[in-house]
Amino acid sequence: MRSWSSSATPWQVAAWLLFALAAWLPLAPLLRGFVDPEALAFLTDPRRLGLLGRTLWMSGAAAALSVVLGATYAVLCVRVRFPGARLLESLLPLPLFLPPLLLAQAWFGLAELRGPWAAVFTLGVAAAPLPGLLAARSLRKQRASAHEAALLLGPWFAAREMLRTAMPAALLGGLLAFVIAASDFAVPDYFAVQQPLFHVYAMEVFGHSRSASYAAGAAAALPLVMLGLIGLGLALRLQRGMRAAEVGGGRAPKAFHPRPFGTSVATFVAFALATLLVFLPLGRLIWETGNTGPLDPRSWAQVSADAFGQVFERARGDFLSSLRFSALAALIVLVASPFWAHLLLRSEQTGSRARRIAGRVLGAAVALPLLVPAVALGFGAILTLDKPWLRFFYDSPWLPAMLLAGRYGPIAIFLLLERLRAVPDAQEESALIGGASYPARLFRYRLGPQAGGWVLAASLVFIFSMRELDLNILVSPMNASASVRYYNALHFARDNFVAACSLVLCVVLWLPMALASSWSSLRGRTPA
Amino acid sequence: MASIGSAVLRSGILALSLAACAPAPDLVVYCSLDQEFAEVLIAAFERESGLRVNAQFDVERNKTVGMVQRLIAERAHPRADVFWNNEIAQTIRLKNLGLTSAFSPPTAAAIPAEFRDAESHWHGFAARARVILYRTDRNQPAPTTFDQMLEPAFAERGGLAKPLTGTTLTHFTVLGTMRGRDAALDWIRRAESAGLRWGSGNADVMRNVARGDFDWCMTDTDDAAKAIQDGHPVAIHYLQQEGPGSGTLLIPNTVCVLEGAPHRAAAERFVSWLLRPETEAMLAAASSRQIPLLAGAEAPAGVGIPGRDFTTLKVDWNAVAAALETREQEFRALLVQ
Repeated sequence: MRSWSSSATPWQVAAWLLFALAAWLPLAPLLRGFVDPEALAFLTDPRRLGLLGRTLWMSGAAAALSVVLGATYAVLCVRVRFPGARLLESLLPLPLFLPPLLLAQAWFGLAELRGPWAAVFTLGVAAAPLPGLLAARSLRKQRASAHEAALLLGPWFAAREMLRTAMPAALLGGLLAFVIAASDFAVPDYFAVQQPLFHVYAMEVFGHSRSASYAAGAAAALPLVMLGLIGLGLALRLQRGMRAAEVGGGRAPKAFHPRPFGTSVATFVAFALATLLVFLPLGRLIWETGNTGPLDPRSWAQVSADAFGQVFERARGDFLSSLRFSALAALIVLVASPFWAHLLLRSEQTGSRARRIAGRVLGAAVALPLLVPAVALGFGAILTLDKPWLRFFYDSPWLPAMLLAGRYGPIAIFLLLERLRAVPDAQEESALIGGASYPARLFRYRLGPQAGGWVLAASLVFIFSMRELDLNILVSPMNASASVRYYNALHFARDNFVAACSLVLCVVLWLPMALASSWSSLRGRTPA
Repeated sequence: MASIGSAVLRSGILALSLAACAPAPDLVVYCSLDQEFAEVLIAAFERESGLRVNAQFDVERNKTVGMVQRLIAERAHPRADVFWNNEIAQTIRLKNLGLTSAFSPPTAAAIPAEFRDAESHWHGFAARARVILYRTDRNQPAPTTFDQMLEPAFAERGGLAKPLTGTTLTHFTVLGTMRGRDAALDWIRRAESAGLRWGSGNADVMRNVARGDFDWCMTDTDDAAKAIQDGHPVAIHYLQQEGPGSGTLLIPNTVCVLEGAPHRAAAERFVSWLLRPETEAMLAAASSRQIPLLAGAEAPAGVGIPGRDFTTLKVDWNAVAAALETREQEFRALLVQ
């Protein structure tokens, strides 16, 4: 039998060279910060340990909340038949398009929330689409036969089987939510107004990143990186324990059609969740576009129209620029992430202990660009790539695309890894025996049944690339971007403009997804 | 699979067609002023000079590291020609790191001596003042001096930004240079026990006053002007800082030509164009109400003029810049708990 690796080697080498260039090379100058004795001081200082402890519980609580909200939303929309389910499902990604700080301001305006739990709630709500989208994807791939067999044993068995299918993906979403919450200090800082103040560790990383020594920021980030790696290890272990086999090509279970009372309850809960995640914050933002003081002679509609007019006049070019970089980054990830994920998958499946350990080390190294602060990646890009002989590349749109692909590629890799695991190995092995080439085995037999997850992975890279701020400040061609535009306006209190800008961004990003979903639905296909 | 492959191909072609490179600029300006105003001025300069400017903007507070760190990182191969900073201490920090170069524009002599570098590495213009913004509908007094903010009658009804970044960090560093480090740290401790509230930035505390959550706040004139412009029932008075050289703290924009600027001649032309009374008048007339510093610059009604409407606090800016990083670490250790 041919070895899988001999035909895969050239493809794998090319894909990993790209990852090294996009993600590891810019990190190289910062790595010395990790081995700096100063980095150890961060782990022994009581004040910083206190901040780290608070980060752990706040981010953990936010991640747990995001899993509960997101997974419940996904189960209701995908597996229960009630009026409006398809519409609500298409709205789920919307909170991801908004910076968490805007959501914090919206929720303060709505409910005057304050204190650490306000930050937990905001970060949980902001990240809920991650476990939600991933769980929805898995639920659609559950085998109808498994579901129906469980149903014969009773509804609780069916529910348990459904959870077993959704939880690995939801856990991965929860881990991403944890990483995002742990690196966010703007939201806790916003809510920390009165004594006792409750700051988080990321504030310390931000403070050290302002030092003239770039390694200081990386050294300060080490504890957060370690927390992220521990979380990743736990999530992967739990995922392996809960693995539920799926196959492509088979039919998906039909959505559950409850009795009238059950339909009413499901409809109520789903709309209540949508109100919490989408309608209230977006409604507040719409109101904010025209919000002004009582002495302003202009009407709400005039102020709002002015704000939207300014967005189209001033921010159009920045939006296009962000869309271009993000689309390129998503394209790179779309092409390369299957190779990256497949190698990690094979390293899990190998019989050799040494190779399994090497696979885990590789997994940790893959996660690194996502776990370090974006400023570290930005400084690294300047230090390694801003050379006179590389100007043609540094000033081209490919540098931003590559950096964004390197930064957010790990999201796609771990998502695809979880998806590829769900495809029985026998499919790929049969193709290998049949003499299929490596790309054919990977793309047709492994990825084919998971094409929706593949597109979702690239879509998440696109969304996070659109949200990126720190890299956009530091790397020259990325500066003209939507995020710099609205964060600059936010800093200078142009709240009407910021609200209008974020709503336009939501529509621009959401509309194609909603249209694609509607088109798939009309053609009777499962949407991505 | 075929349809996905086709979609990928189509999106790839679209992305590639969108990825065309822009032509090389004649001048690169790093700017931390409000993008809305800076863009208008830079566009006017482009029209007048015929030069193509690549302007890069900053978001210092929400929540990134900013242009100053980028300039430091790029020092081996400078990309920027001009740094237009909306404050002063970080510009002096760049000078002390050897990242700025001397250039004296024609209007340099019209700038007050305390707002320009003795060696002509940087020049100040269009300032913001530190003021008290208060609600006019509450019939409650607001503090008029720096230390009054700590009095119980005021403290529990107002707030200020945490002195960790921006002009509030600069303000508290000024306090440290004038009264001593321990006095500055003690002020923060007393503020905590007095119940004074801390916002995440000057715009944030301004919003709290506009909404009515606070009766007053300490902020900058540009944020205060925004609240007034938006029609909130608020007004300002200039904050007097006691002690030697008592008065209101003014924090100017600063502009400098960078060491190793790739387009030196264009950089000098831009700085000379910027440091004119006409430019200051434009910034004063804009909604941010920047305070002109150049002799002869006109200001509309509502813009406070130093010497006429308030006394300016005398500050040793070099000492402030030298102490900035250390003070920031000390304030962070105190507040970030």
